[in-house]
Amino acid sequence: MSGVLPVARWRNPFVAALVVAALQTAVLGYMIESRASILRNGKDVLLRSAPIDPRDLLRGEYVILTYDISRISPDIVTGGLPEGAAKAELFVRLKQQPDSFWGPVEASFSPLAQTTDSIVIRSLPFSYYPSPGAPPPALYPNFGIERYYVPEGEGRVLETARSAHALSVNVRVDTDGRAQIRQVSIDGAQVYEEPLY
Amino acid sequence: MYRGRMERDLKRWVDLGLLPQSSASAILAEYDSRESTFSVGRVLLALAALLLSASLLLLVAANWEALPRLARVAGVVLLIWLFHVLAAYFLGRGAKAVGAALLILGTMSFGAGVALVGQMYHLSGDAADAMLLWFAGACLSAAAFASAAVTTIAACLAWAFLITLYEGGDPVPAIESYFWLVPVLAVIVLTLVRYTDAGRARHLAYLLCVAWLGALYVDNPEIWLAIAFFAAGFVAFLLASLPRSPLYRLASEAGSAPPFYSFAVAVMGLVALQSEAGGAWAETAIGVGLLALALVGIGLAGARNGTVRYLAYAVFAAEILYLAFETLGSILGTSGFFLIAGVVVALVAWLVIRVERRLGRVGEASQ
Repeated sequence: MSGVLPVARWRNPFVAALVVAALQTAVLGYMIESRASILRNGKDVLLRSAPIDPRDLLRGEYVILTYDISRISPDIVTGGLPEGAAKAELFVRLKQQPDSFWGPVEASFSPLAQTTDSIVIRSLPFSYYPSPGAPPPALYPNFGIERYYVPEGEGRVLETARSAHALSVNVRVDTDGRAQIRQVSIDGAQVYEEPLY
Repeated sequence: MYRGRMERDLKRWVDLGLLPQSSASAILAEYDSRESTFSVGRVLLALAALLLSASLLLLVAANWEALPRLARVAGVVLLIWLFHVLAAYFLGRGAKAVGAALLILGTMSFGAGVALVGQMYHLSGDAADAMLLWFAGACLSAAAFASAAVTTIAACLAWAFLITLYEGGDPVPAIESYFWLVPVLAVIVLTLVRYTDAGRARHLAYLLCVAWLGALYVDNPEIWLAIAFFAAGFVAFLLASLPRSPLYRLASEAGSAPPFYSFAVAVMGLVALQSEAGGAWAETAIGVGLLALALVGIGLAGARNGTVRYLAYAVFAAEILYLAFETLGSILGTSGFFLIAGVVVALVAWLVIRVERRLGRVGEASQ
């Protein structure tokens, strides 16, 4: 082994500490602001949801949420499907229905134009495989809002709403189509509200 | 440990009059002054840092509502600053072990911060991104402080990245760009290993490459890929172990690892090829190829590189047993198989003894 390179010797450890800590702080700050900006500037969308099951992981206990928009019928896909297997994003146009929930009216693998009475939400990239069968099967995109972290031991609160099927989630969607959970309600009564920070 | 054995040997040589006492003491003093010398205290300190980090991560996971989010973020950021500044202070005073432990804590705090933000904003489907970010933070710290301890953490995070890719279901390499990032992370870790003198952490990076190749093959069990593994591994092995090769100097600076892992990949390719081969003849031909590869390995690198030699012995023995079982096993039944196995192991033992004795003689002659 050639040993430690000479540069390591003259390096002032305090400069290194400053650079590392400042950059790491900046990264965390950027992450926070990129999510907070969605909450601040996004448009409100109310989604019907159902919890699947609470989990335990490094980040803590969370509830997996599934939405009406988690299953997209191929009938509403415009602009065609990708021809081969691909990493794809799905853009889904949501419109408010008479019951005040928002539902999918159009979906596309290429960006959709914003209109005044609709909101376009964008899925996370997912693996798409063409299937030979016709009609093509439904699509199951994720939107990055499928987890809700709860304080330790509270996972069951939301899970009880499963039977009632009365969970509604208010999300904010920014102009890029990225979504952020703002509020969770059971039977119309708010259980959790998300602060900006 | 090595130091104990060396001390015994030195004492023996001094007693035999081969070495003056002053030289023996000087050798031991030099060994003890080396930074990379294994020290229980240093290892325990690093272990303590990891335990403290685990408690921090679990504290974040508990998601206490009692503390407002911003306070939690501020706490984590404060810890990042505190640990790095303290590490700088101790490193400046020459307390390397304490400094390394504090740097580990700093990097783990950054990871806790990434996890905390993910929890705050209920992020999902981003586990690989989070791991990549954490890896980047660790690499930054390892490079800035030339820290071997943090390089080891970075190597572990590169592994965690690969595991995360598999957590969300089998990734398909053809369309999953992150899958192709894994060898890039390994190269980054190897560069850091060289720069920070992190020694043993290099095995994590090499093993990551081997695991990644294995994953690639599991997804594409194609004959051409197996041949490519064999060819690339063999060429890399030749480049790393032939003294004439332009890369020989670089490879030998990195110890016995480059010839060993490239040899292992070549073996992996042939084993994969053998499992794909149809028909007894093809299988036997590839088996003979594996035996030949083992002998070439012993012949080219065996004298200088014990790891390659032992891997080659193992491959040789396993392959002979496999061939014997495939060709004769069905005729002979279980008892006959043990008979064959006994004969084969005796044969290999004879071969190993011959090779070891010969290598010993070559070693003496060259000294």
